[in-house]
Amino acid sequence: MQTEVKKKPPAKSSVRWLVPVLSILALLLLWEGVVRLLNIPIYMLPPPSKVAHVAVAESPLLFRHALSTIWAILLGFGLAVVIGIPIATLMIYSDAFNRAIYPILITAQVLPKVALAPLFIVWFGFGLIPKVLMTFLIAFFPIVVDTLAGLSAVRPESLMLLRSMGGSRWQSFWKVRLPTALPHIFSGLKIGMTFAVVGAIVAEFVASEAGLGYVLVEARASLNMVLVFAAIIWLIAIGFIFYFAVEYAERIFVKGRSTKRSQELGAGL
Amino acid sequence: MDQTSASFIDIRSVAKVYQSDTGEDVPALSSVSLKIKQGEFVSLLGPSGCGKTTLMMIVAGLSAASKGEVQIEGKKIVDPYTDIGIVFQNAELLEWRTALQNILLQMEIRKLDINTYIPIAKQLLSQVGLSGFEDRYPDELSGGMKQRVALCRALVHDPDILLMDEPFGALDAMTRDQMNIDLQRIWLEKRKTAILVTHSIDEAVFLSDRVVVMTGRPASVAEDIKIDLPRPRKLGIRDSSEFNAYTGHIREMFKDLGVFTND
Ligand SMILES: Nc1ncnc2c1ncn2[C@@H]1O[C@H](COP(=O)(O)OP(=O)(O)O)[C@@H](O)[C@H]1O
Ligand SMILES: [Mg+2]
Repeated sequence: MQTEVKKKPPAKSSVRWLVPVLSILALLLLWEGVVRLLNIPIYMLPPPSKVAHVAVAESPLLFRHALSTIWAILLGFGLAVVIGIPIATLMIYSDAFNRAIYPILITAQVLPKVALAPLFIVWFGFGLIPKVLMTFLIAFFPIVVDTLAGLSAVRPESLMLLRSMGGSRWQSFWKVRLPTALPHIFSGLKIGMTFAVVGAIVAEFVASEAGLGYVLVEARASLNMVLVFAAIIWLIAIGFIFYFAVEYAERIFVKGRSTKRSQELGAGL
Repeated sequence: MDQTSASFIDIRSVAKVYQSDTGEDVPALSSVSLKIKQGEFVSLLGPSGCGKTTLMMIVAGLSAASKGEVQIEGKKIVDPYTDIGIVFQNAELLEWRTALQNILLQMEIRKLDINTYIPIAKQLLSQVGLSGFEDRYPDELSGGMKQRVALCRALVHDPDILLMDEPFGALDAMTRDQMNIDLQRIWLEKRKTAILVTHSIDEAVFLSDRVVVMTGRPASVAEDIKIDLPRPRKLGIRDSSEFNAYTGHIREMFKDLGVFTND
């Protein structure tokens, strides 16, 4: 008699990787084929083989500019975290602060931040500062909003439980409220991180003499489309690395619960 | 027996009025008086929304009474009372902590030495049939298991008072029966002063020394019934005529109070 239900074996990791790799490969082949077949000129759309070649051959130049972009992302995102999370925390604990800061937050969010770029040039010139500032401004909002949502998600019963243990406000925050908020905070960080990359590039378009965004503008001006695409490849790589760095941190900090919810929220961007 | 042990918890004409969002008064409790002796097991039985949770929170010092007061050992409660263990309807386990870590939260918050309490916590877990589940996260536990862990957390610091607010309300009937057996056994061992809020007439009669029947909102005490059944009680006692005399009487009371209609 067969009583045991056979479990479906989980797909082998090699197979799980094969599908996305194949799909990307197919896309690249299609691109290469279309460009060659239709004889599309290289200054319109270069074939991926050329782009890959230049992305490697020009790597000293691209690396130098990438570093500049990476710094802007790291500093801007870092500032957004270091300022955004405490602000959200204060908003939860102080109603007066909440009401004072809320209109400013919303104004800052609806304002198209790119419109500030010319001002930044006047105030800070073409260096690192305007890039960091733009990155910070763009990454800030999703971090604050998700941190707020997370810190509000705590169950009142959990807080009552802590009070019945004689717990202090600080203990409630540290032991209950903050850990409850972590999955939300991380989804904010993931969105914030993807926004930060956008912020740095946009600032480099407008107000910079270094960085991959600057390379993009310059290469396009000289109709060097292969270099444009090579810079984009580098940007994609940087975006991936930063995104997965945040996700890795999430895996370390968020224990005992499925991170599906935050992955769903963060990965769409 | 001296005066203080005669009434360990003294609920004196406690009333509670909430404000609704529109500013109207919502009376939840109208003058409840109740004396509970040390080591007594008392159930609060009443229709949903009548104010049982409110009363429990006032006893724990987690919510203030609008009128009247609660005294524990002769002292008026103004702050949260901490020599207490509380079990809520939802286990309220912290999902990033294992079963054992959830229980030891008591120690962390109270700044007690954790290593001293690890064996105690493990022993409690084994008493509720959860040995080997120390390192499981709440996500990996069934509803009944979570509630057992919550019970361990409420007992690990050996409090004077155990408050349980519909702790088994979300469990299926069989799990619930088992929990009743386990709870009685643990209570017989430790003899905590226990207050259990429940919807189940059977559960209240099975577990309690006294069943306090409450009226609809705003609640007051309709009847305070002493349950004279020998302990330890077995599940089979629910088929006995003595048991059914109690439950039948309570059911009649609820009918009179308008809780059951068209019966
Ligand atoms: N914080 C609150 N604000 C306003 N009304 C409340 C609040 N808490 C409970 N109530 C109301 O008080 C009544 C009693 O609630 P509760 O004590 O939770 O009842 P029970 O536990 O018996 O179901 C209910 O009508 C409920 O809507
Ligand atoms: Mg209730």
